[in-house]
Amino acid sequence: MKPKIVIGGVIVVLFIIFGSYSFMESNVEYTDIAGAMKKHKKVQLKGEWNKEKEASFDPVKSQFTFWLVDESGKECKVVLDGAAPNNFELATSVVAKGRFTDEGYFHATEVLTKCPSKYEAQPSELNKTS
Amino acid sequence: MIGGILVKIAFVTCLISVVSYYLNHRKGSASLLKAGRTFYLLTVATVISTSAVFLYLILTHQFQYTYVWSYSSRELPTPLLISTFYAGQEGSFMLWTLFTSIIGVFLLRHSSRKGYEPEVMSVFGLIDLSLLLMLIVKNPFLFVWESWPGQVAAGFAPANGRGLNPLLQNYWMVIHPQVLFSGFSSMGVPYAYAVAAMMKRDYTNWIKPATPWLVFGALILGTGIMMGGFWAYETLGWGGYWGWDPVENSSLVPWLFSIAAIHTILSQRKTGGFAKTNLALAMLCFLMVLYSTFLTRSGVLGDTSVHSFVDPGMWAYWLLIGMITTFSVIGGVMLFRRRKEIPLPAVRHDYYSREFALFLGSSAIVAAAVFIIVGTSSPIITELLHGKKSAVDISYYVTTTLPLGILIGLLAGVGQLLWWTRSDRKELLRTLRTPAIAAAGLTAIVTAFIIREFLVALFVFGAAFALLANIQVALRIFKGNPKYAGGSVAHIGLAVMFVGFVASSKFDEKQTISLAQGRPMECMGYTLTYTGYRPVDGEKYAFQVNVERNGQQYAVAPIMYYSSYNDGLMRNPDIANLITKDFYLAPLSLEQNNGDAASVVKVQLKRGETRAVGSVELTFVDFDFPVMQKAAMLEGKDVRIGAVLKVKGKKGKPVTVTPAKLMKNGESKDEPAVFEGKYEFVISAMMPDREAKENSRVEIGVRDLSRSASASSAQGDVLVAEASVKPFINLVWSGVIILLVGFLVTTVRRAQEASLKRASQAQE
Repeated sequence: MKPKIVIGGVIVVLFIIFGSYSFMESNVEYTDIAGAMKKHKKVQLKGEWNKEKEASFDPVKSQFTFWLVDESGKECKVVLDGAAPNNFELATSVVAKGRFTDEGYFHATEVLTKCPSKYEAQPSELNKTS
Repeated sequence: MIGGILVKIAFVTCLISVVSYYLNHRKGSASLLKAGRTFYLLTVATVISTSAVFLYLILTHQFQYTYVWSYSSRELPTPLLISTFYAGQEGSFMLWTLFTSIIGVFLLRHSSRKGYEPEVMSVFGLIDLSLLLMLIVKNPFLFVWESWPGQVAAGFAPANGRGLNPLLQNYWMVIHPQVLFSGFSSMGVPYAYAVAAMMKRDYTNWIKPATPWLVFGALILGTGIMMGGFWAYETLGWGGYWGWDPVENSSLVPWLFSIAAIHTILSQRKTGGFAKTNLALAMLCFLMVLYSTFLTRSGVLGDTSVHSFVDPGMWAYWLLIGMITTFSVIGGVMLFRRRKEIPLPAVRHDYYSREFALFLGSSAIVAAAVFIIVGTSSPIITELLHGKKSAVDISYYVTTTLPLGILIGLLAGVGQLLWWTRSDRKELLRTLRTPAIAAAGLTAIVTAFIIREFLVALFVFGAAFALLANIQVALRIFKGNPKYAGGSVAHIGLAVMFVGFVASSKFDEKQTISLAQGRPMECMGYTLTYTGYRPVDGEKYAFQVNVERNGQQYAVAPIMYYSSYNDGLMRNPDIANLITKDFYLAPLSLEQNNGDAASVVKVQLKRGETRAVGSVELTFVDFDFPVMQKAAMLEGKDVRIGAVLKVKGKKGKPVTVTPAKLMKNGESKDEPAVFEGKYEFVISAMMPDREAKENSRVEIGVRDLSRSASASSAQGDVLVAEASVKPFINLVWSGVIILLVGFLVTTVRRAQEASLKRASQAQE
């Protein structure tokens, strides 16, 4: 009985260590531009699309470029692999997943858009007949 | 109004039923049993009536109800209109309650035959009761003026509803949530049986009536998960069938627990061991359904996923926590207090026994489920640790589950070859030899040529071994009694699915292409020609692309459309299924050459304001609109209105340009202005302010000519799309289907066994 419990316990502990290590490694932190520049890990950059600057899709490289302003007002260029995500034009905020490159832009692999007001009904919409 | 009252009536009758059943369990009075039964059936009748009323309100467009107004509209076709029943949170709880109640009727009959009725039904009734409480808190029958008191006049009925999110307007929406929620409802049954077993202090017999329900639940939930994966792949254009999204994970985790429970319960049937483990696992299936519901319905995940998680309000949040706590405490405390009296049979733990393999397999499945649920809960965990919510990367799930997948594959093969209690080592090695050598050979070929990752190669070996070993076993069983083939069929399905995972994700090829209309393009060995678009379903557009490979022609037509509901572009991919692979085309955008929208940036400027656009600075000086022009406009003559802009490049002096709009015979025509051959300016909107001239604004469309020139060297439109070739994706689907067929065979066999036993008991 005893050795079995010891072996079982060791295996469980090893799994917990393995799990926590993977968890820490792959945890994608939310951060602002300053924080993303310091880290060389993959991070989630939260901010708003700066609509006054150009946003365009390059069909040759298949990349979408736009400028992102974070809460502190700092802004940076974001290059996304792929086309503009759904709802991009009207998103209240965007979250870009990726990392800063040495060329000084944020290279995103994924951009999520948040349009909360669109999903929560507002009483002002009641009179709209669509 | 009547709906809300019915919910409350159902709550009261259900409460009476639960109390009566429980008192009957304590005192054994026959009238109490009758009361419990009657009031439960009354509850079910009331819940069905409530649902009927709810459906009636939806079908007759009673938009004065907030729910009906929020999720449906007059334009929806009937099947989709019916599906708005469960499009929102309130409605999906309603559906869950409805299915739980209906399953309860069958459970009542079934458990009464097995002598478990008062215990099982008091626990199952409690589940129904808490769902009904949720419907009281999140009332689907609120009027709009009750939802926004003071803002909407009482009795107001909007003319039309907001409509259903176009992402959900799909035939999968009609069937998928129903299957998923029946799965969630069935998971309540093993929980009820486990608690009932502890109430009756009967720790061995409960597994017999509980098993068919458990396997049935796993079958239904598994079907629901597969449909969700197919929905994501085929319509939503996520590119894959599985994205480790919280919504997907929350149905996968309870399913994994049910699979683990099926295996250890099988072991208890044969050897009598694992009595405590089985009680715990059977309860965890349901507790995981509750916890997953909490994760996806309470808003705790915040902004960490593609899905919007709407905050359901404080009451619903605490009720969900209350449900998890109540059901965990009931199960946990009972198990803890009874731990000493649960029998420990004198089992000889031989490592070469099937029960040990089953135990290891279940442990691996539970470990995978725990890793997944921890990953899905990462926003909560990180908030506790760092005070900020953040999610784990998708790679976490792959890293943690891959080693367990290898173990599961190997055990799925070995376990089937082992005997109960103990196997002869030599005999085992002899039967293992053929599949092991064949699998090793297969893996060696695959590894040598294609996959160079060690763990992935091991995973392939595990899957190949499981496949060959189970085919060997299945052939033997089919010669005897095919009814017993459920297990090996399910394992064959698992192995095929595993091979499909590797094949479709490791050999996946992707390329983004720009297809000029009418011009064939080479892409990954296929010749693609975009031929034009046609309208479908009114507002949507299908973009027709011919795909040619080795003389074979296929036509795909991915869809893009603007959705006013989401205020954005919606895209649906299209797939050419070529048996050994899928050619998958996901549209990205259509670049039109006449004023192509993509390379145009719109800038709004106040009078005198300066803004940077691309590499230039743009200042709006004033409108060019002389007094004589105003007179001409009043007379209805042709008018020309210009916007005077000062443009300053990186070097050099500012230059004044004047784009204008020409109004001729009631039609307006643009007169663009060009700066240094690099930028083109067009007036897209004018907002003059007569009272305060300095507040006048103009919107200018700025086109980067260098950029659009590169994209539009050809005539006509350019369709930008992502093409991918997904080899052997059909292995995933066929694997899942074989797996589910295995469950079906087992469900039928266990149910037959249960009724055969009853027949023989009746004869005695």
